[in-house]
Amino acid sequence: MKIVAVIPAYNEGERVGAVVKDALRFVETVVVVDDGSSDETARYAIEAGAILVQHPENCGAGAATMTGIDAARALGADAIVTLDADEQHNPDDIPAMIAPIRDGTADIAFANRFGRRNSIPLIRRTFNAIGNVITFVATGKWVSDSQCGFKALGPKAVKEIDLKMSGYEFCTEIVREAAQHRWKIAQIPAKVIYSEYTLAKGQSFAGGVKTALRILLRSFLR
Amino acid sequence: MEITPYQLLAPLVSLIAVAYAWNLFFRKKKTLWEVILWTAFWGLIAWIALYPDSIDYLTAVTGIQSRENAVMVTFLGILFFIVFYLIIRLESLEQRQTRFIRKIALRDAGLLDDKKSMEKDEDL
Repeated sequence: MKIVAVIPAYNEGERVGAVVKDALRFVETVVVVDDGSSDETARYAIEAGAILVQHPENCGAGAATMTGIDAARALGADAIVTLDADEQHNPDDIPAMIAPIRDGTADIAFANRFGRRNSIPLIRRTFNAIGNVITFVATGKWVSDSQCGFKALGPKAVKEIDLKMSGYEFCTEIVREAAQHRWKIAQIPAKVIYSEYTLAKGQSFAGGVKTALRILLRSFLR
Repeated sequence: MEITPYQLLAPLVSLIAVAYAWNLFFRKKKTLWEVILWTAFWGLIAWIALYPDSIDYLTAVTGIQSRENAVMVTFLGILFFIVFYLIIRLESLEQRQTRFIRKIALRDAGLLDDKKSMEKDEDL
């Protein structure tokens, strides 16, 4: 099974290299999608051994993820792992994420940061809970950590997935895709590493509200 | 019971909207969950039109009791719908632009599957 890791990155020059090197311990190929960065993200990604796809303009995490998925398909991927470029996810969890894909018990595996002991700030827990509820209202599927960027897609999901939302809404859209195509879902407890940097990079409250409204609006008027 | 033209029109529009939603579901463009929400929403509109007394409590709470107020609220609702529609159109334009940028990126990386890309364009 050819597994490709997809890492969407925006101004992550200081961190993307380490993430690529760590991921390459577990997968054959890493695709970094530089989403219109103004720093050295592209150079560090290539130096670390990734295949680079570069958006000429910043389009958002969802668009970058879908570009990475298209690139992985073109490279002949049977399975895809998506993870963030800010060192928030631990690539050591990749084998556990891929396990249900390999044994055919799941078409998609969602990392669950709340499924094990992790030091997660209360504000993050609250926002994630709200995100989960909105995702459930929009899709009818309950996923314990719907807003986490760490996911594994099996062959069926790789073939069928088609994300249209450009921003952070894509996390909810993936759950919708899972519901629409009736993918088998696995939820894998995963480690998360929050630093001041990753906390500062997260969505603002206003951004979260905007994302929520877009999700609800889109799902209603689709 | 005296039936007004609105009481005939609203359920008819609701019926068309519900039929359209189910059509999208059978064409696999809507999920079952979405079509149920859509049906419930338009069902409620039709119900309120046919049985306006059923929202007596709401009119008492909101203060919308007179016909003039009801007309104003209806037009506000229509304005909201137009704004939502414009937002959706803007999003659709944004999506086209994003697809264009993504295509350029994949082509520059030598990873663009032209055949699949054209199939997606036809789907739009």
